[in-house]
Amino acid sequence: MKSKQGNVKHILQSYGTILAMILIIVIFSVLRPASFATVRNFINITRQMAPLVFIAIGATLIMSVNEFDLSVGNMASLGGVMAAMLAVRGLPMAACFLLPMVICGVIGWFNGWIVAKFQVLSFITTLGMSTVLSGIIYRLTGGATVFENIPKSFAWLGTTKLGPIPLLSVLMLIATAIFWFLMRHMSLGRKMYAIGGNEEAAKIAGINVKKYKNIAFALCAVMACVTGMLVASRVGSANTTAGAGYFLQSYAAVYIGCTVSKEGIPNIVGTLVGAAILTILANGLTIMQMPTYMQDVITGAIIILAVIAQRLGRGDAK
Amino acid sequence: MLLRTEHISKQFNGIYALKDINFELLPGEIHGLVGENGAGKSTLIKILTGVYRLEEGQIYWEDQKVSITNPVESRDIGINVIHQDRILIPAFNGVENAYLGMEYIVSGGKIDWKAMEKNVADVADSLGIEIDLKKTAAQLSPPQRTCLEIIRAMMKECKLLILDEPTASLTDKEAEILFSIIGKLKEKGTSILYVTHRMDEIFRLTDRITIFKNGAMVETVNTCDVTKDELVKKMTDQWSGQVIQRREEFGDVLLEAKGIVSKDGIVKEGNLTARSGEILGVFGLGGSGRTELLECIYGYRSTVAGTVSVAGTVIAKPSPQNSLKHGMVLICEDRRGKAMIGNLSIQNNILLSNIDDYAKGGVLDEKRETQAAAEKVQALDIKIAGLKQRAIELSGGNQQKVVFAKALMNQPKVFLCDEPTQAVDVKTRSEIHRLLRQKADEGSAVIYVSSDLKEILEVADNIQIVSRGRTRELLQNRDLTSDQVLAYCYDK
Repeated sequence: MKSKQGNVKHILQSYGTILAMILIIVIFSVLRPASFATVRNFINITRQMAPLVFIAIGATLIMSVNEFDLSVGNMASLGGVMAAMLAVRGLPMAACFLLPMVICGVIGWFNGWIVAKFQVLSFITTLGMSTVLSGIIYRLTGGATVFENIPKSFAWLGTTKLGPIPLLSVLMLIATAIFWFLMRHMSLGRKMYAIGGNEEAAKIAGINVKKYKNIAFALCAVMACVTGMLVASRVGSANTTAGAGYFLQSYAAVYIGCTVSKEGIPNIVGTLVGAAILTILANGLTIMQMPTYMQDVITGAIIILAVIAQRLGRGDAK
Repeated sequence: MLLRTEHISKQFNGIYALKDINFELLPGEIHGLVGENGAGKSTLIKILTGVYRLEEGQIYWEDQKVSITNPVESRDIGINVIHQDRILIPAFNGVENAYLGMEYIVSGGKIDWKAMEKNVADVADSLGIEIDLKKTAAQLSPPQRTCLEIIRAMMKECKLLILDEPTASLTDKEAEILFSIIGKLKEKGTSILYVTHRMDEIFRLTDRITIFKNGAMVETVNTCDVTKDELVKKMTDQWSGQVIQRREEFGDVLLEAKGIVSKDGIVKEGNLTARSGEILGVFGLGGSGRTELLECIYGYRSTVAGTVSVAGTVIAKPSPQNSLKHGMVLICEDRRGKAMIGNLSIQNNILLSNIDDYAKGGVLDEKRETQAAAEKVQALDIKIAGLKQRAIELSGGNQQKVVFAKALMNQPKVFLCDEPTQAVDVKTRSEIHRLLRQKADEGSAVIYVSSDLKEILEVADNIQIVSRGRTRELLQNRDLTSDQVLAYCYDK
């Protein structure tokens, strides 16, 4: 009897989040079989979740070293704005997308440098940086959406389809695979998890904690930038606050994702599942014509549940 | 009788930290409590102040049976404690700190600061303490903070004041101020339980002394009836090491630390030399700076002066990375806090400081990793369910073996070991001793810090005394007895 209970507990702990995702899919499929449960809608969902996945991968990296980056929302907006403005100036498309990544990477590195150098909380530092970024965006755009004179080719990245599959969905899967490999099978990931697990022990083991935190901050900023650029490319214009909505969602995805791992730590596959759950909910609730405020209530409640579940799952471990 | 304990005991994980204590304290006396590290002094204090739950035995307070289950109850009956590290809120001023944990005086819905300040000032006056109550705790000097804590303790009726190493962070001059306050408290009839390693203070201040040893009470004596030598003898077992064969001939100097001064001022002057084949015991009382000295040598704690050289090469920029590169490892005292990552697997813990050695172009060679970790697990006979098991799930002894496995991965020339047998079982303890002796025989140098003097006498070839942040005498561990070593520690 007891072992049976233990089994149920074990299954819930290991696969609870994935079961929850399946349950959500089943519920929507039953309620709206014609519009929700179609191949087209599922492909649609993968495209909708793509931008979220990029920024959430960045959040996964920063959380794996036990830090926070609150500037990712504005970082994404800045990335989109910069890419669009460069496109307007007629730069080659590759440069339009690569240059913002470099700039955002440097800003992210700077975030990490401040945190390490002055031993201040990343929470506050990046909150300050976020405000600085919004100022810069305003200076660049005057507060207006960048949409005039954007070359058609700018939209290629966000709108191309490979057969029925959007390029965005494919890029999302490639990025997930790359970062999964990096975190799971490369020294960089191992060191980042060591730092997140116990910074002091990592330091004593000779791991350069500052360096790897800086890398995490830089990569986090780059991934946020990519999200911003993909959104801009998808809609063919760069809104100055396009990234704002992704900030909370990205961390929500990571927290939900933590519950997928046995240790309750941030992980790339979990983050993908988390992003999927959030996107499926938004998609399904929209199809159900649920008012926006209800969507917010439900999404928020799920985020809180995920944090609680992560806490319970972690339990004894330090 | 103010306080009487009857057969009180306290166990942790089945091991007695305190056993069958029958302790008595008279009203108005200054009572010294002495004993080696781990003798059970702190455990007794924590029981009396409600930090630990009492499981066996009875406490009588003014001849009434009482149960003290939390710090508030302890304070309510009139017991207050002043710890080595002070518990004041830095940003609060004197009045606010004195009123911590007490109800503020309110009149007409407003806090009556004037009345509160008067109350605090009255208490300060009665003790002859002069401090500016408007200053925040952060602005006060260490002795002023101690004074403020005493004021705070005396705000409510305090019948027993426990002072735990109160002079540890005070200069001699500052300590004098404290002693005069203690005199005033005694005049007022407050009993004081004075816990310290410092013999001169014990003899100067106390009326009676209780001696603890290995969690048991030895006896209570009148201060005027004992000498310092007698007291030190009562605190320690007569014991001199003989177990493991020792060496007297050593090879080249492998570690030389000169003039180490830590940035935080805890280590004031550290000089250490260890040679190939040598186990150098480092012994000092709690708070002597022995752990901090090792951390400075390893490059983990910041220093402002001093050089460290390993096998003749000066480490230019001291850091854990560079220490490892030169073949020096640190086994930390604080296993969970600094030596191990509980949430990572055993394998990843063992390989923690060698991640790059098992990566090619950044990609980990997991086969070789598993092989290397498995070899170490076998060599050290670590009992595990599997290499992927989380380290936190292991017993203390096996966790410590994982820490050693990690250290051995670097083939170190110098081992810095800080309490390497802390909280491990007897079997693992002797395994660790044998391992370190074997490594010394193979040509490494081992620095062995322990607060357990018996252990030092058992394993060390030579013993370096550390006291009050400075390295002092270097003793050859031949026919040494524990009280001889302790005499060096207690002397100024």
